[in-house]
Amino acid sequence: MSYLVLACTGLDKAEGSVAREVAIRLAEEAGAAIICPVALNRIPARYKKALAENRLVVVDGCATGCAGKLAAAAGAKPALRVLVSDVVKQAGSVLPPDLRLGPDALDLAREIADEIAARQAAAPGPQPAVAQKPGPVAFAPPADFVVVVHDKYEFRIPVTGFFFNANDIWVQVAGSRARVGISDYMQQRLTDITYVDPPEIGATIEQFDDICTVESTKAAFEVVSPVSGRVVLVNEALEDAPEAINEDPYDSWIAELELSAWEEDRTLLVDGPAYAAEVERKAAED
Amino acid sequence: MPETTFMGVPRSRIPWAPTIDYQKCDFCMECDEFCPHRVFERRDGDVKLVVANPDNCVVFCRACAKTCGPDAISFPDKPSTVALIKKLRSEEDEG
Repeated sequence: MSYLVLACTGLDKAEGSVAREVAIRLAEEAGAAIICPVALNRIPARYKKALAENRLVVVDGCATGCAGKLAAAAGAKPALRVLVSDVVKQAGSVLPPDLRLGPDALDLAREIADEIAARQAAAPGPQPAVAQKPGPVAFAPPADFVVVVHDKYEFRIPVTGFFFNANDIWVQVAGSRARVGISDYMQQRLTDITYVDPPEIGATIEQFDDICTVESTKAAFEVVSPVSGRVVLVNEALEDAPEAINEDPYDSWIAELELSAWEEDRTLLVDGPAYAAEVERKAAED
Repeated sequence: MPETTFMGVPRSRIPWAPTIDYQKCDFCMECDEFCPHRVFERRDGDVKLVVANPDNCVVFCRACAKTCGPDAISFPDKPSTVALIKKLRSEEDEG
C-alpha cells in the first residue's frame, strides 16, 4: 500500500462525483487504498491501524469538506488535501450538475488523479496520518493487598508496586512514567464519585501541586500529586464513568506523568504497608 | 487522643491553613459550606467567619480558595512548606 485516499461519497454534487472518481483512479492506477467515508464515520476503528501507518490524501468535492472533517475527527492529518471545486474554479471552467460524469468531468478526474499520483510518488517516507503516541508502558495490576478493617469498612492497599502520599493519592511507576490515582480509603470516604476534572495534557506538575479536582456526592477533593513531572496522558474513560474510581481505585488512574524527580519525590512517599498503618490511624480518628 | 501527624510530622508544627483577608472577604460563606473539615467557624458580630481549626486543614489542599469569589483566601507558600516538612522529618530521624 503506498497511501490512503479518503474522498467525498460523490452523491451530493458533481464536484463530489469527481472526487469519488479520483479516488477510484488512484486505487486502480497508483495502488492507493480507499477509505470509505461512510464506514470511517460509522466504524472509525476499522481504519485505525491503516491511518497510524500510512500517509493520507483527502479529496473533497466542495467547500463543505466532509472528507477533511472526517479525517480530522479520526485524528488524522492529511499529507495532501485537494478540493475539486477549487480546481474547477482555477481552471475557469464550469462542471455540469450531473452526478453521472460526462467526458469532460472524467478528464478532469484523470488530471487530478495523475497530479496526486505524481506528487505522492515524489513524497518522502510514510508520514503516518495519525501521529503515534509513545509506546504503552506496562503498569501491572496489584498482585496482593493488605486489608485494613474498620467497623463495617474494608480498605484495600496494594502491598507492592504502589506508593502513597499523605493526601491519600497513589502513584505507580513504570520506567520514567507514573500513573496517579485515589486510594481505596479515600474513594470510600468520598463516596460516589460523580466528576473528574482532568488535568491538561502537557501541564507541568510539582510534587504536592494539585493535579485535578474530583467531585463526589459528598465533597470536592483536590488530588495532590505525589510526584513531579509532565502530564502525558489522562484517563479519558473517567470522563464518562467517574464511578470506576469507586469500583476499582487502583486500576482507575487519573493521569500519567513523565517523571522529572522520582528519586527525590520517593523520599516523601510511603509504601503499601506503611500507608496501611496510616489508614488504620486515620480511620480510627474519623 | 494521640496527636495527628502529616508525613510523620506533628500536624501542629506545619503552618498550613487558609488566611482570610478581611479587606476582601464579603462573608458569603462559600468556603465554609465547601470545607468538610470544619476549618472555619461562623461568629456573631462584624467578623462573621474565622479560621478556628487551622490544624484540621488538609496540608496542600487549597480547594476552599478556589470557591472564593472575592479572592480573599491565601495559603502559605507550597515549596517552603515542603522544605519545612523535610527539615522536621530529618529532625525526627535524628531525635
